[in-house]
Amino acid sequence: MNAPPTAGQQAGVDAYLGEVGTRLHGPRRRRARILVELRDGLDQAVADQLAAGLPAERAVRVAIARFGAPTAVADAFAAELTIAYARQTLAWFVATGPLVGIWWLLLLHPAPWRHSLIALVAAIPVIPLVAAGLAAATTTFATTGRLIRWLPEASGRRAVGAVLAVAGLVITGDVTILSVYLASDVPVSPFGVLAVAASLIRIGVSLVTVRRAATFRRRTTVPARSGTGRNPRR
Amino acid sequence: MLPMRPELLKGHLDALLLAVLEPGPQHGYAVIEALRSGSGGTLDLPTGTVYPALHRLERAGLIASDWQTVGGRRRRAYHLTPAGHAALGEQRAVWDQFSTAVAAVLSARPRPAPA
Repeated sequence: MNAPPTAGQQAGVDAYLGEVGTRLHGPRRRRARILVELRDGLDQAVADQLAAGLPAERAVRVAIARFGAPTAVADAFAAELTIAYARQTLAWFVATGPLVGIWWLLLLHPAPWRHSLIALVAAIPVIPLVAAGLAAATTTFATTGRLIRWLPEASGRRAVGAVLAVAGLVITGDVTILSVYLASDVPVSPFGVLAVAASLIRIGVSLVTVRRAATFRRRTTVPARSGTGRNPRR
Repeated sequence: MLPMRPELLKGHLDALLLAVLEPGPQHGYAVIEALRSGSGGTLDLPTGTVYPALHRLERAGLIASDWQTVGGRRRRAYHLTPAGHAALGEQRAVWDQFSTAVAAVLSARPRPAPA
């Protein structure tokens, strides 16, 4: 019977997972779960090799080789992680939209006797941008979630493109509404302070999002760097 | 045995993974080993690159997963959803039709020209 992997051999597994981990880009919790799952699989692969009669050190090396090169494994996860990032970011924009919008609605809503949609858009001119952003987010949710069984599936690159578009619409909308408010003769009020603060915070977050999403988009254009993905360190 | 290029699996990996999970829940590594052993070693893909395919199937709602603790270690087990069972049935039917058609064409040998 073979001895279980020593601490040194376990260090080989740790180093491999460390290499994979540094190449994974996406939501932190998702990355952590991927590494936990890979570690469990690797441990079982090592146990299989030990059961097949390989000495411990070689068992670890063969198991790692069968998993694939760290670059290939990380590249294989890139699409899923990119889509997870896009869905999470779009969900954040959709969830926080009302938290910002409510103050502007309370501040700039049309007079009570003007109920038409035109009056609302005239008072709050960013409403078409909000509608366009919601449409982009909804489409991306639909084409990256369970509906892909019936709808054409969006790629990670396309999903990140939707994030960039929504972030751009949000920045445009917030800058526009801030300009409208500052140019208007609406008196300063607590609602006004809250609305301006909320929009400024969201502009800042959106700018950070644009930068991150652009990085994701660049990564999705980099072709896979490994052919079969087999780890050459066998 | 003739080598099989991984890209030949494109379009079929989903069905293969669903079929492996049909008998009951399995964790990721067991799924991959079942694929390898069930094909007599022909479908020998880099293990680490098959996990993302499982994640995509889960995103599509065709499989679901549960985290369990086994021997102090966290393990993710996958199982087919009702939608996954239905999709597997559909993909089997498509494959039967496809393979029959391809086999019919490939097995047709040219007849010798009459003298």
